[in-house]
Amino acid sequence: MRLIGFIIVCLTGAFLLYGTTELPDWGDPQSPASVHLSNHYIERAMEETQVPNLVTAVLADYRGFDTMFETAVIFCAGLACFLLLRDFRKEKERFYRHVPTGVILHFKDSKKKLPIGKEFQHMDKQWVPYDIIIQSVCRILIPFIQIYALYVVGHGDFSPGGGFQGGVIFGSSLILIAIAYDLKTLVTRIKEKVLGIFAAVGVLIYVGIGFICMLLGGNFLDYSKLAKIIPVDPGHIRALGMLGVEIGVGIAVMAVMAIIYINIVSEGKHDEGL
Amino acid sequence: MDILVIILILFGLFLFFGGAVGILRMPDFYSRLHPAGKLDTLGIMTIVMGLAIYNLHHFSLGALLLSIKMFLIVFFVFLSSPTATHSIVDAGMRAGLRHWQKKKGKES
Repeated sequence: MRLIGFIIVCLTGAFLLYGTTELPDWGDPQSPASVHLSNHYIERAMEETQVPNLVTAVLADYRGFDTMFETAVIFCAGLACFLLLRDFRKEKERFYRHVPTGVILHFKDSKKKLPIGKEFQHMDKQWVPYDIIIQSVCRILIPFIQIYALYVVGHGDFSPGGGFQGGVIFGSSLILIAIAYDLKTLVTRIKEKVLGIFAAVGVLIYVGIGFICMLLGGNFLDYSKLAKIIPVDPGHIRALGMLGVEIGVGIAVMAVMAIIYINIVSEGKHDEGL
Repeated sequence: MDILVIILILFGLFLFFGGAVGILRMPDFYSRLHPAGKLDTLGIMTIVMGLAIYNLHHFSLGALLLSIKMFLIVFFVFLSSPTATHSIVDAGMRAGLRHWQKKKGKES
């Protein structure tokens, strides 16, 4: 069985390599991309889309269909991480730490619980003493990181940035919570279900905007048709449609980053980890 | 104003140079983090401050906003860089890395 798989992989690779011989060389000035496509984008993008940032215009408007499936790929990565790693078996033993004395309590009965607060703390195998410096600095920094992430998402159509970058920055702020405090803090603040719903909703916003454009009589992801339902300057409507799409991408990427981090670091148990 | 900007940027470059030499020359993990944490922080702060002041040459609201953003960068670097160094040192201590000691003669 393994041998067959190996042969199939080798054959596919060989065919792909064979296919690349037909492609134009790197930087070939005679290739179709350099002769027609780039010139068209550079010369006409401003008047066709009214978006000042050329990269966003190409990415979210001319090639919006491609970007939609990139978002779907990221969603699939989160889903695969969840399906492969998630472990729903309950742990039987619990450890608590009495904060004033530092005594560690070991519970063998999984039903008994202690209230977590000033007196008792969760504890696990990878427990490290809480560091007040890192915690307080992260408390100050995390809101600013999140505001900056929203700024990057919101300014995607005017300046460098966009949904993917903003989503990653927002996800990294969530990861910073897990590093500065512990994984339980993150998991209790943002539930696993919420993250999963966010990841799906992000992709849904993207696809939904495409479908609304279709319902209004245009092509899939033809943002100019949105002007029928949103009363704004028709020149600006494409930028607005892209902003909606970028928000969807940002939500999906943020949720998937957090899902991947939580699942990998706790080996799917969601209770202890880095 | 120009003189102040030049002094600040040259001072920042000098600190960066010292930091680079320190990272290359220091004997072990902890002492290398010492120049990396302190000198780079102060170097970045003085250079960005110099640039922010230079930016105010043509005084307008936009330039002022840009300079305020630069000072915000200085503020965040001032917060986060020493914290990162602190946590790296902390991790090294927890992992049990011994600090460097001067060798006594030929034994050991």
